[in-house]
Amino acid sequence: MRRSIPLVATALGVALTLAACSGSSNTPAAVTTPSETATTAALTGTLTVWVDETRIKDIKPVADSFQAKTGIVLDLVQKASGDIRTDFVAQVPTGQGPDVIIGAHDWTGEFVKNGVVAPVELGDKAGTFSKSAVNAFAYGGKQYGVPYAIENIALVRNNKLVKDTPKTFDEVIAQGKAAGTQFPVIIQQGDKGDAYHLYPLQTSFGAPVFKQQADGSYTNELALGADAGTKFAAYLQKLGQDKVLDPAIDGDKAKQAFLDGQSPYIVTGPWNTTAFKAAGMDITVLPIPSAGGQEAKPFVGVQGAFISAKTKNAVLANEFVVNYLTTEAVQDALYATGGRVPALKASAAKINDPILVGFNAAGATGAPMPSIPEMGSVWGFWGTTEVQIIGGQAADPAAAWTTMVDNIKSAIKG
Amino acid sequence: MSTQQTGSRATAPDIDEQIVTRRKGTTSHARDFGPGFFVKLVLVAVVNALGVYGILAAAAVGSWGIVGFLVIALVLVDWVYFSRRMLPVKYLLPGLLFLLVYQLFVMAYTGYVAFTNYGDGHNSTKADAISAIQIQTERRVEGSPSYPLAVLEKGGVLAVAIVENDKAMVGTADQALAAVGGATVEAGRVTAVPGYTTLAFAQIAQRQDEITNLRVPVAADGSKGSLRTQDASTGYIYTPSTVYDAATDTFTDVVAGTVYKASAEGTFTAADGTTLNPGWRAGVGLKNFTTMFTDSRISGPFFNILAWTFAFAILSVATTFALGLFLAVTFNDPRVRYRRLYRSLLILPYAFPGFLAALVWRGMLNPRFGFVNEVLLRGTHVPWLTDPWLAKVSVLLVNLWLGFPYMFLICTGALQAIPGDVIESARMDGAGALRILRSMTLPLLMISVAPLLIASFAFNFNNFTLIYMLTGGGPNFAGSPIVVGHTDILISMVYSVAFEGGNKQYGLASAVSILIFVIVGTISWIGFRRTKTLEEL
Amino acid sequence: MATTSLEQHAPVTGLRWWREVGWRHVIGIVMIAICVLPLLYVISASLNPNGTLTGSNKLFRTFSLTNYSELASTDFAKWGVNSLVICTVTALGTVFMGAAAAYAFSRFRFSGRRASLTALLLIQMFPQMLAFVAIFLLLLSVGTVFPALGLNSQLGLIAVYLGGALGVNTFLMYGFFNTVPRELDEAAKIDGASHAQIFFTIILRLVAPILAVVGLLSFVSAYGEFVVAKVVLQRVEHYTLAVGLYVWASDERNAPWGLFAAAAVLSAIPVVLLFQFLQRYIVGGLFAGSVKG
Repeated sequence: MRRSIPLVATALGVALTLAACSGSSNTPAAVTTPSETATTAALTGTLTVWVDETRIKDIKPVADSFQAKTGIVLDLVQKASGDIRTDFVAQVPTGQGPDVIIGAHDWTGEFVKNGVVAPVELGDKAGTFSKSAVNAFAYGGKQYGVPYAIENIALVRNNKLVKDTPKTFDEVIAQGKAAGTQFPVIIQQGDKGDAYHLYPLQTSFGAPVFKQQADGSYTNELALGADAGTKFAAYLQKLGQDKVLDPAIDGDKAKQAFLDGQSPYIVTGPWNTTAFKAAGMDITVLPIPSAGGQEAKPFVGVQGAFISAKTKNAVLANEFVVNYLTTEAVQDALYATGGRVPALKASAAKINDPILVGFNAAGATGAPMPSIPEMGSVWGFWGTTEVQIIGGQAADPAAAWTTMVDNIKSAIKG
Repeated sequence: MSTQQTGSRATAPDIDEQIVTRRKGTTSHARDFGPGFFVKLVLVAVVNALGVYGILAAAAVGSWGIVGFLVIALVLVDWVYFSRRMLPVKYLLPGLLFLLVYQLFVMAYTGYVAFTNYGDGHNSTKADAISAIQIQTERRVEGSPSYPLAVLEKGGVLAVAIVENDKAMVGTADQALAAVGGATVEAGRVTAVPGYTTLAFAQIAQRQDEITNLRVPVAADGSKGSLRTQDASTGYIYTPSTVYDAATDTFTDVVAGTVYKASAEGTFTAADGTTLNPGWRAGVGLKNFTTMFTDSRISGPFFNILAWTFAFAILSVATTFALGLFLAVTFNDPRVRYRRLYRSLLILPYAFPGFLAALVWRGMLNPRFGFVNEVLLRGTHVPWLTDPWLAKVSVLLVNLWLGFPYMFLICTGALQAIPGDVIESARMDGAGALRILRSMTLPLLMISVAPLLIASFAFNFNNFTLIYMLTGGGPNFAGSPIVVGHTDILISMVYSVAFEGGNKQYGLASAVSILIFVIVGTISWIGFRRTKTLEEL
Repeated sequence: MATTSLEQHAPVTGLRWWREVGWRHVIGIVMIAICVLPLLYVISASLNPNGTLTGSNKLFRTFSLTNYSELASTDFAKWGVNSLVICTVTALGTVFMGAAAAYAFSRFRFSGRRASLTALLLIQMFPQMLAFVAIFLLLLSVGTVFPALGLNSQLGLIAVYLGGALGVNTFLMYGFFNTVPRELDEAAKIDGASHAQIFFTIILRLVAPILAVVGLLSFVSAYGEFVVAKVVLQRVEHYTLAVGLYVWASDERNAPWGLFAAAAVLSAIPVVLLFQFLQRYIVGGLFAGSVKG
């Protein structure tokens, strides 16, 4: 009994505050952000949702339908994709953050490490999702996010230039060279390298970035070293010497070159195929063939929603994230606007766009990008070393690769 | 010419002082009841009104820091503006108040953070960390079903109702789940229990914290875990896998029995060194300052980068100033037609957002496909941004492109302060253009511009945006134990170490900010003394 | 406009014209080419409906105003208004507070004068790396007392910008104030003018060129600032142009480069116009002033 007295008092206080807010917008009691209108809060409620510019178009219709159905207003706040994570981690402890944040699964580790997200309980609904999509949001045995879409890279072919389907990556190069275009195949790099787009080739040599456990979760034990890693490094050097890969081709250049028909193949994701289709190109999406003999496994990225650990609207947030986003109709709608493979099995089964089916097939072998915080220590070294091998600055690829692994290990240790 | 001016200025203060002293009674604004006085009265009254409102409002929400600041500020404002003395302060106060609040606060806050371990894993308060650990280590009881659930209320106390084995069960935080009679059950969910009110959605929405924090024990002794709900419609049974004991300030793992003690570093740490996440912000003394020098990964490339930072800052100032001044002088000649047009176009690089220019230049300097190599240099492959030395040159050239309009502007402005007839009479006396520039224009110009050059040095010393957007610090050192490159300056190196390494370390970044400030501040201060700028004051 | 006493010379011609005037045009044209070249890229991208920013060297191969018309369906116009309001107020505030401070430093002698001048400049050199965290916390607590100065408020952002009003700008003005002959204010003082009257009616008029320069400088720096602005202004409709453009460009995969480029071209116009307008004060302002003074 005693325990609930402060609770009641708090609730009363909150109610009074809300009443005060709706009464006059300028009283000192209006502690909440001034721009948020709390007029309807007493009846239904408002959920603040952070979403970056890449995803806001997809979420907007869902927000509207959610409001129509429940009366709960989703106040979508657009954040820059470069800042949304940092701001969330920094602002949640001040009580100013959002109730819900839409993002990618690989943010999970950082969020959990900082205690800024609340666990969600999917219960029986977990079974209705693609297993790897759900697991992507799990961390330390708990579920922290609800998935809605899956994306990964694949090999995209310009059917006007090449028609055969390659079995190995060397065949890709051979066909590309035979096509007589400026580039046989394009994999974007840039000055800082791009380990993400090279990862399928790397895994085909049997060198995944971290060891995976049976349930698909990653340990913090690096696996990209040893023989498999150095073999891949040597292959990279060869691709660089043969001018298949070029650090001068960054994302901008890669997209434009493929649009201009300068290459029959490009390794890219669904975010670019929309532009290719819009330009009237005839393209096919294929799984990335192996370069090193084993299966090429692209990183799979899962989009989803997290609930803030400090939300004052936990019930509403759960209603939206756990009970609404998980419905078939909503996942269908997100597919319709977002153009990504839905995480819900029933919705995914319905897609028939050959391009997305192709991406889905290419991603079937893939593994979620590691969400462990250690991953953050990997990217910089990884890309830098790869681009130095490709560009020829690192003359001995095996030695450069081994140094890289040591540096990453030391960075992870802190 | 310039010595004569300086001379007259040196004697001026005494006259000034005398006049002010002698005529204080009539010149002081405080006693002048003209229109100006009433303007002042109204302005100060408005400030007072806002201040008093602020004090009341701040007191209402318990922000005593703000109350204190406002009280002092108000007293100061009234004293300054109604006093007959404090003449200079009347002019300085508005700017100083803003400076105090918005600049010094940032400095003070950075200073505070430098002594903590604020960053990833130490992100918030200890209380937040404890509740996060509790929630994160709570485990759902294996094999337990999900329960459709109703939230009830009796006398202000929340209760939940579920259906187990076809029987309605009700419990509260203090009373374990127990069967109740007479409950209405629809489709596996309790809808009404006699003596309780079933909360409607609107009521639920108002008591969300209470509902989601409610844990209803399944058995009276708590052995079977407790029922929780997060959406007020489905419940699950959880047991904690760690237990916090406030008396000893420890977490205990209920399965393995490991005890995690709160440590001074802001984590719960077991005897074997394993820790629980998250930790909290804790003071770490000078650790962040010493890391720079004791961590060989950082101290290795440190001096390389420090040297380049100096070179970059000094050369940036020198080149932009030289070009800006040259252009300003060039177009200060009234005989040049279309001067207005030239001037307007010359500030174009300044009119576009800086980060956009850096992005565009990066594309244009691409070794294989960039406009510079492919079109201007007819297909050569000059590695503008990928060769260590050329990258440095490119950074300086792009910064020259970005920075000369600023120098051009201030030089053009400052040139106007040089009386045209003085220059003209020198010209009549047969002095050459260069000679006039060197011995007359430049010294006069330097009086107002020298401090800006020093400020510009400081700005470029910390010109993070340019480096980050143009080269990202690259080309990177091969095999270096931290990801830094040949064009990284101190501040971008810190960014790379403290933010991009996958583990944000605000504490370290703050400490280095302070170190950089000490370096730049000292050099600038020496610079002032050397250029005699301050002697002229 | 440029009719000053200096132009009353007989016009020079021939070789002498080249030596004294003509080369200036050559330099002007070369410099303008260098200034404009990168911007051509941006303009070219703005005329290409689905292109990249730097992906192609074939400038102006498409010419379509789609991007410009599509800007209408974005918040671009709102951002523009926000930017103009915020930057104008910031510039005016900076000029006023900076000029007042420069006047105090230039015309009064008081203890701690040199120390505080140095301090003003040194404070500006503090690396603002963590400013975004500190400013957020600051505005969060200020907002509990003065909601109008808190987060998500234009006034709040202006206040933050005005925190930097003293500093480099004060120095620039201080140097200029010192070149205004003291005899002018001495004479006014003897005529019975108060210090405020001298400041507002005599000095400010005489230093118009530097006021215009400082106004332009602070306008431009506020106009291009996005690091603090994106912390303070959290909603799309409150963004300034710089924040809006930054957000568009920060999208690594699908950045709307066409829209971005079109917006960048349009957003450069106010600065150029403002400079056009202020140029008459910057150049030749002193001559006008000294004639009257």
